[in-house]
Order: sequence, then C-alpha cells, then structure tokens
Amino acid sequence: MFARRTTAAVAVAGAAAFALLATGCASGGEASGDEEITLTITTFGTMGIDANFDKYMEEHPNITIEATNLENGGAARDDAYAKIAAGTGLSDIVAIEEGWLSTIRDVSDAFVDLRDYGIEENKDDWLEWKYEQGTDADGRVFGAGLDIGPQGLCYRGDLFEAAGLPSDRAEVAELFGGEDATWEQFFEVGQQYTAATGKPFFHNPSFFWNAYVNQQEEGYYKSDGETLNIKDNQGMQEQLDLIVENASIGAGLPGWGVGDQAKQDLFATYVCPSWMLGVVSGYYDADTTGTGWDFADVLPGGAANWGGAFLGVSESSPHKEAAAELALWLAAPEQQAASFEAAGPFPSTIEGQELVSDSVNAFFNDAPVGEILTARADGVIAQVKGPEDSVIQDNVFGPVLDRISQGEITDGKVAWEEAMVLLDQLVPQS
Amino acid sequence: MTTLAERPAAGLTFRQKLSRFDFKASPYLYVSPFFILFGLLGLFPIAYTMNVSLYEWNLLKGQGDFVGAGNYISVLTDPFFWNAVGNTFSIFLLSTIPQLIAATVLAALLDQAIRASTFWRMSILLPYIVAPVAVAVIFTQIFSQFNGPITGVLQLLGMDPIRWGFDPFASHIAIASMVNWRWTGYNALILLAAMQSIPRDIYESAALDGAGKIRRFFSITIPMIRPTMIFVVITSTIGGLQIFAEPKLYDGQSNGGANRQFQTIVLYLYEMAFPRRDFGRAAATAWILFVIIILIGLINFAISRSIASQDAGRTRARVARTMKGVRS
Repeated sequence: MFARRTTAAVAVAGAAAFALLATGCASGGEASGDEEITLTITTFGTMGIDANFDKYMEEHPNITIEATNLENGGAARDDAYAKIAAGTGLSDIVAIEEGWLSTIRDVSDAFVDLRDYGIEENKDDWLEWKYEQGTDADGRVFGAGLDIGPQGLCYRGDLFEAAGLPSDRAEVAELFGGEDATWEQFFEVGQQYTAATGKPFFHNPSFFWNAYVNQQEEGYYKSDGETLNIKDNQGMQEQLDLIVENASIGAGLPGWGVGDQAKQDLFATYVCPSWMLGVVSGYYDADTTGTGWDFADVLPGGAANWGGAFLGVSESSPHKEAAAELALWLAAPEQQAASFEAAGPFPSTIEGQELVSDSVNAFFNDAPVGEILTARADGVIAQVKGPEDSVIQDNVFGPVLDRISQGEITDGKVAWEEAMVLLDQLVPQS
Repeated sequence: MTTLAERPAAGLTFRQKLSRFDFKASPYLYVSPFFILFGLLGLFPIAYTMNVSLYEWNLLKGQGDFVGAGNYISVLTDPFFWNAVGNTFSIFLLSTIPQLIAATVLAALLDQAIRASTFWRMSILLPYIVAPVAVAVIFTQIFSQFNGPITGVLQLLGMDPIRWGFDPFASHIAIASMVNWRWTGYNALILLAAMQSIPRDIYESAALDGAGKIRRFFSITIPMIRPTMIFVVITSTIGGLQIFAEPKLYDGQSNGGANRQFQTIVLYLYEMAFPRRDFGRAAATAWILFVIIILIGLINFAISRSIASQDAGRTRARVARTMKGVRS
C-alpha cells in the first residue's frame, strides 16, 4: 500500500519539477532579421518621446516597444543605479539625465559604445558640447544626446499688467535688462511687483540658485571635474546673500508640484528651461490657453543650460543592435523636433533646432518658443559636472534654500555657514 | 529448527533499512524546503550584508578596500544617523502607543454582543488592505500645508497653518497617523481573538461580586490578554522601527524631508545606498538597526516577564495561603 502511494507521489512530483524547469527556460536568444523583438525603454518626467514610439513601430512591424516612464529624474537615477549595481535589470534603452551623467560616466561600461553602431557618421548632427558630454574618458560614446535646456523666463503677463509692469514679451525682456540682465535687476523688479500687488513674485528660490550655478564657467567643480569650487567662491556667496535678502517676495512654496498655487496666481515668474515649459503647462488641463503665462527671451545672469537627457543602450541588453538602432533613431533631428512639439525638450541637434525654429506654443500666449529657445541656446557651453554634483545641489544647498524659503534663515552669512557644514559632512574632501 | 546462529547475519534487510531511514529522515525533508528557501533568500543576504559592511563598497563601482569597523564607526558618529534614530523613535512612540490603546478599546467594544458584529469586525480591517502607497498619497494631500483640508479647518478657526511638511514634530504626527490608520484595525482583531478566548464565567462571577464594566475591563480583560498583548507590542516595535514607505512617500522628492525632518533609520539607509552610493555604510546601518531592534525586543521581553512573574508570584502565594487554610 505504501509502495503504490509512493509511486504515484513520485510521478506527480517529477512531473511538477519538469514543468517548473520548462517554464524557467524561456527563450531569449539573439534575434536576427525580421524576428519579433520587444525592446524596453525607461524614461522619466515628460520627455515627449513616447510620441515617436508609435511611428517607429509602424515602420518596423516586427518591433514592439515597451516603455516605462518614471516620475522624475531622481527616481530614474535611483532605479538606474540599483540595476547597474545588480548587474541586470536595465532596460534595453535607458534615459540618462545630465545631473547624474558624470556618475554614469564612471561606470560607462554598463552601456555600449555607440560608435560600434554608427553614431560617428552623424557626429556633426549634434552640438559639439552635447556630443562630448556623452563621451567618457576613453572616448567611448555611451549616451546619444536627446535634448538641451536653454533657459528663458516664464512669466504671467496678466499679473504683470495688473502690477503696472509691461506685459509684452519684448518689453519684459528689456525690463529685466535684455542681454545684460542681472539677478539684482530681477529682484528689483520683483520688489516692485510685490509692492504694487502684495502678492509673491516667485514660488521657490532654489531655481534661482541652480540657474546661477549653471551660468558660471565652473560650477560646483573646477574644470578638471574633481576639485571642489565652493569654499572660497565669492560669486556663490553673493548670490546666496541676494536670495536671502529677497526671500520675502517669494511664496515659500515647495519647488515642484505647485499646480494649484499657479492657478491661484500665487506667483508670477518661473525659471523655464525648455523642458520646464512642459512642466508648467502640465499644471493646467490639456489644451488650456489664455492662462496669462508667457515666455520671454531673457534670463538674469546670461545664457545657461539646465539639464538635458541622453539615451544609453545597456550592455546587458539581449538585442543591442535593434536597441542601438532605435536609440539613434530617437535621437535623430526629426524625432527630437517631434518630441519638442509634444512636450517641450529642446533638440540638441542643429537640424532639429532648425526644424522647430518657427514653433509656436499656444499655452504660452503663442510665444515663438522655437525662436526664443534657439536664441537662448546661443553661446551656451555645458559646464563640467563632478561626481557629487547632484548630492551638493539636493543635499547641501537644497536644505538651506528650503529653510530660507520658509523664513527660517534671514542672514546670508548664516545660510552660507550652514551650507558649508553640510558640505563637509556629505562630500568627503579628496 | 533454526538457531540464533543461523539467522541472517546482515540484521535488517535493505527494505527495512530504507523504511527506517524514511521514518527518521522524512520530517526533516518535509521542513527542508522552507529552510532552504530561508537560507537562500533570508540568511544568505543577511550574512552577505555583514560582509558588505566590512568593506568600502561603492554602489556602482563595487567592492573596495577592507575597512573592518570603519563603516560602523562613521555611521555611529554621523549626526544625521542620530537624527534619524530620534525621528524613528518619535514616530514609533507616536504611532505605537495610541495605536495599542485604540486597538484594545476597539477590541473590547467589538467583544460585546453587538448587532452586525461580523460587518464591524471586517470593516476595521479594511484600512490594512489599502496599499501603503495609496495611503501615503492621500494623507500627503490631507496634511498639505497649502491646500489640505486640515489647513482649511485651521483657517476657519482662525489659527495659523501648521507646517506639516516642514516642522519635524508636525511631520511626525502626520506620518504616525498614516501608520495608526493602517495598523489599528489589524491589531484590534488580534486582541479581539485573544479576548474571545477568555472564559465568560469569570466576567459573570465578577459582575456578581459587583464589579462594573470598566473594572472588569482593567482587572480581567487586560491581564488575561497579556501574552497576546506582548506579541502585539513586539511586532509593532519591529515594524515601527523599520518604517519606510510612509515617510518616503510623504514627500515625493526627498529622503525624509529637505532638512531630514522625518528621515527614519531605513530612509537614512536608503539615502546612503542610492543617492550617496555608499553601500558599505548602508549595510552597516542595516546591521546597527538589527541590533537596535533586538535590544528593544529584549527590553520589552524583560519588562513583560517581570510584570508577569510578579503577578504569577502573587497568585501562587494567594493560592498557597488558601490551600493552607483549606488543609488546616
């Protein structure tokens, strides 16, 4: 009696084990020619490239694109780090942000050298500095440039008018100083605005800090990318002083997610790199116009680049050839122009910029955004970023600016001291 | 006739040996799947984390130099770590104490003969079923210092808005409310199960002796659910010291607030591991947290044992006196 039961049990167990093994051995071999391929891509925020996926899938019926969009660059960064550390799990194509590009550059072996897939033939398509940014120390091109972030100033024309300030784009640019716009002048206009209307001029000071740092020839790191450039930095200290002095005309709001407050007219200006246009219009329902938002061709302190994404193809991808083809296609001028139309990130290819030069944005009062952004991109050189750049921005100056915004710090010296204490604790001096 | 000497010298047959082996070994084989899985997925990572904590380990670049206790020392001397410990204990106490009191009271209420008792008992478990992410998103909106309903009520009453996202204590209260909302029902049901196993005639005899409802609650119910209470306290402690999802999602951007107002130990660990990419220190933090939890668990255990043995001692003494009286 035992024997019969045991035999049956062994048979069932054996079958189950075999079934388990069979499911484990899924096929994932190399594809060739017109074999069905599924490519995975991870993006973040509103990059506007999902508009292009359908087009690609139409042209290549054997390819299916599975896109994952993470909420913001920080989430994408943590996700990419975890997967690089684990050695597996990266999608075939990964969007990399400029903020953490230098960290990825240290481990660029996780991504293929796009020169093996023909990127050098089209090298001149891109702005030179953008192409260089995606290259590591050994000359491998690990990231194909997607967009750049030339900055202009978004403002509420209607609120300016109510405060007795000019509301026309060109006049607003002159108001802030045009080509010679300075931060002092910006805050002066702000004081005027708040005095006239009693309402805050801006929502959060951290953008003015980040914009300032990006405008300098050398940011948190010197040109060698290793030496810190903060401790004796006169310019940074002065900018921090300026921000602290003018904290009272700010609204004390958090940096992001201020859609409700925007609709309540709680602030009238917004530092707008090209991708921020999508963020601001995203605060409102789709296809809204007449909100009063406009976009001026000026940035206090001069031209600067903020952000910009790249596409990398992971070494662990089972379909490197197809993925590289897709990545280079997405980074091509026509697709960059299509993304711009969809969500605002400004093309980093010269032809792409030409394609969008007459683009007009209905949300921003029909502003000729293509023209303005091309003008704002003129003369911009990307700054050398070091390995701890995002840590310094988020964890050293971020908390201090938050406290300034909430009115907890009212002395520029105190603010700087606090920042230096945090810097010593968080960034080990090499 | 066969003599003893003519018996087969081998003793048991192969069949019999197999049967005996089966009898002795099969219990171990039946429980082995769990232990194998635990060994692979539980024990090995724990041991490996200890290994990682002894090295200078960069998240992306991998293993570095051997530093022994270096990571532990740098974590224990990091003021941000102690800030996280303070935040964790604050949130833990704010969440566990009201939660257990509320759970006990709820369980006592549900223990009464009320109508639709099954409906009530199932409803208090509903918050536990909601995904923590959803809870965090909604509570963040409720506690928003700019648009939240609580701010609206405070404005109506003419009071200053509370800065839920900025002030440390206010943020602790907000996060503790999330935790309480989720776990009170769960703990209440566990305590209810314990209360239902108390024999009813004890209550009856107490009522006959003139004890009111409150007196019966404090003198009978609470002492008799003590073992379950200890269990609930220990599991709440372990969970409370490891709070991660609620503070992480309370402020979608940062790891515990721009100024670490509500950064718990596990959030500190996360910050070490990912944005700061220092795996060695993150692993050291994990082990330090483990030690802290064991310490608190031991303290809990010691306190509850001393209370229990006090009572047991008194009861034994009383019984002994009564017996003496009976015998004499």
